[in-house]
Amino acid sequence: MTVTQIEPAPAGQLETPAQQLVRAFAERGFTHFTGVPCSLLKGVFNVLEGKQAPLADGLTYLPAPREDSALGVASGLAAAGARPVVLMQNSGLGYSLNVLTSLNLIYDLHVPLIVSWRGHDGNDAVEHDVIGRELTNLLDVFDLKHTVFDPEKPYASVDRCLAKAEDGRFTPVLIVKEGI
Amino acid sequence: MFGIQDAIREVTEKFPTSLYVSTCGFITRDLYNTADRPQNLYLVGSMGMAAPVGLGVALARPDKHVVVLDGDGSFAMNLSVLPLIAEHAPDLVHVVLDNGLHESTGGQRPVRIGDPAALALAAGYSAAFSVDSAEGLAAVRPERGVTSLVHVKCAPRGAHAGRRVQWTPQQVVERFRAEAVA
Repeated sequence: MTVTQIEPAPAGQLETPAQQLVRAFAERGFTHFTGVPCSLLKGVFNVLEGKQAPLADGLTYLPAPREDSALGVASGLAAAGARPVVLMQNSGLGYSLNVLTSLNLIYDLHVPLIVSWRGHDGNDAVEHDVIGRELTNLLDVFDLKHTVFDPEKPYASVDRCLAKAEDGRFTPVLIVKEGI
Repeated sequence: MFGIQDAIREVTEKFPTSLYVSTCGFITRDLYNTADRPQNLYLVGSMGMAAPVGLGVALARPDKHVVVLDGDGSFAMNLSVLPLIAEHAPDLVHVVLDNGLHESTGGQRPVRIGDPAALALAAGYSAAFSVDSAEGLAAVRPERGVTSLVHVKCAPRGAHAGRRVQWTPQQVVERFRAEAVA
């Protein structure tokens, strides 16, 4: 297993919600992040790409060409003993449904998903209207256990998300509504 | 041309200790019926995912050699994964078993995949081979520690595949993981 080493934040320097989100997953033993970006997740991808500071030792980030392939890579990582997290815009859930329903959910390869929520208030660009309106319904149909990220409480949000996995019985989804 | 099941047997004999990921449908069933081992991660759905799953396995276990058994239809379904795999240069052999048919669903014609070896090289794989006979496949010796693709032109089964995988998906993962982390 990869041993994750997390450097403490420099004294007097507050971490952003995105930095804390990544740190929270890392401190809980997650090793790999993969996915496709969303503007609402820009800060998280900045952290993963090491734009502010090098990504912590023991963490790996892989850009993926499509959300379903990100889930595929994550499934292989999980099957071989690593602990991945997948990031995507809610639009990517459509591509991902086949992999979720015919791989992750039936093999019990439950990988946490960080999913942005474009169109949550019905007042976004038109391409987000339908998936934005139906996001939580869609997650409920497939019993994907979702919780909304609170930028004021990143650690508690991640813990709340992971608790919904119930020790690997469900796929937890951390929904990000506001840009971080 | 030789048969796809013979090609699978030849591959498993060539790489007897590797970790395997097989694409859904008849290829998974052929691998199961030819050489069922705990090191096989049988995919029964999620067409197009064998290669990215294989990459994930290779990244989790860089000390292990990984073989991906893809079909021509499933390869065509997910060409975008080629540069993703190449970027990470895993110790992996990506085998494309090309019988020119979606045989699992009744023998329909897939999109013609052209030259998978050239596609792999263009995407950044270290090496690629194209063979159409048992002798040709036997002569292929992919270098260890790099990423290569082997395009195997083979004949349709012309018969039904063997029985479905009898392990539950959870059993498949449990025994595969035990081998992967060993």
